[in-house]
Amino acid sequence: MALKSSTERWGGVAKTFHWIMALGIIGVGILGLYMTGMDRGMAKVNTFALHKSIGLTLLALALLRLAWRFVDRKPRDEAMPRWQRIAAHATHGLLYLLMLAIPLSGWLFNSARGYALQWFKQFNLPALVEKNESLGDLAITLHVAFFWILAALLVAHVGGALMHHVFERDNTLLRMLPFARLRKRPEGESSP
Amino acid sequence: MTPRILAPLLGLLVATPAFAADYTVGAGSTLGFTSSFQGESFDGTFKTFEATIRYDPADLATASFDVNVDLASVVTGDADRDGALPDAEFFDVKKAPKAHFKTTAFRKEGAGVVAEGTLTLKGVTKPVTLAVTFTPAGTGATLDVTTTLKRLEFNVGTGEYADTSTIADAVKVKGSLKLVAK
Repeated sequence: MALKSSTERWGGVAKTFHWIMALGIIGVGILGLYMTGMDRGMAKVNTFALHKSIGLTLLALALLRLAWRFVDRKPRDEAMPRWQRIAAHATHGLLYLLMLAIPLSGWLFNSARGYALQWFKQFNLPALVEKNESLGDLAITLHVAFFWILAALLVAHVGGALMHHVFERDNTLLRMLPFARLRKRPEGESSP
Repeated sequence: MTPRILAPLLGLLVATPAFAADYTVGAGSTLGFTSSFQGESFDGTFKTFEATIRYDPADLATASFDVNVDLASVVTGDADRDGALPDAEFFDVKKAPKAHFKTTAFRKEGAGVVAEGTLTLKGVTKPVTLAVTFTPAGTGATLDVTTTLKRLEFNVGTGEYADTSTIADAVKVKGSLKLVAK
């Protein structure tokens, strides 16, 4: 598998970012939903710490992924109606934005509340702001709101990919899957 | 029989060495600690404590500290933590509301003075050594003491809270007392 993307399919680096972050985002989201209802205790402390560690990792991956995106070429769009192309690209743009905004708003909340921020018990990260209760309240409201927007966008993202795979029978999904063989385009059809 | 008029004078002679030796703790005194949670240090303060201090730098043999700390008066700047500290896993204030420190001996060490004593906390009594800095100021003085304790020796943070990768074992204790002559 080539590391760089081709005009036909995503390369190894883009795929690795995509699928590792997909797993991480689902995992960190489930932890986030679960942990707030836990009883006070060390298990809760450790679950929050894990949520924060994974979130910080995802923030770093998102930055690396964006940097890679500027270096890498992109596969050309599969043939599809204009509105679908616009919707798909708008979704991707918002997903990138939220991949940054969600961890940053979490970090801001953590700082404003004066909590420690440690990455997998290895090292600590600085607070973004001084303790500030109202800013903390705002940050956590945004953090949660951004998450639900992300969840809705992921439904559209996954739904779109599956629809293209099942009904359009094109390569939208296959070209992002590791090791999948691309479908041949029907004779006479060319992408724009 | 000493004439009555001489009694107060005699009393002064007996009770007045180079400095007034008996003190109570005045306003502005603080007693607190620094611990570490998830790799970040935090400060705690005991709002309520009592101390009886006898101290004359020229006569360490007569010196003594006796300190009682109201453990439920702890504040650390975090509501969750302040809510947890009085619980059975930490100070267990229902069983032992106070910590008690009492000196047993003083000695000079280098340029400073060291106070040896025993601390009783959560039913555990262990020897504790304080570094003492005494600075006379007018009729009173300021007394700064520091030491480092291991919380687990006193069972502070039991069960799952004994995990030192999250809550450090070492706790720095610092007292800064404004002494008022008795």
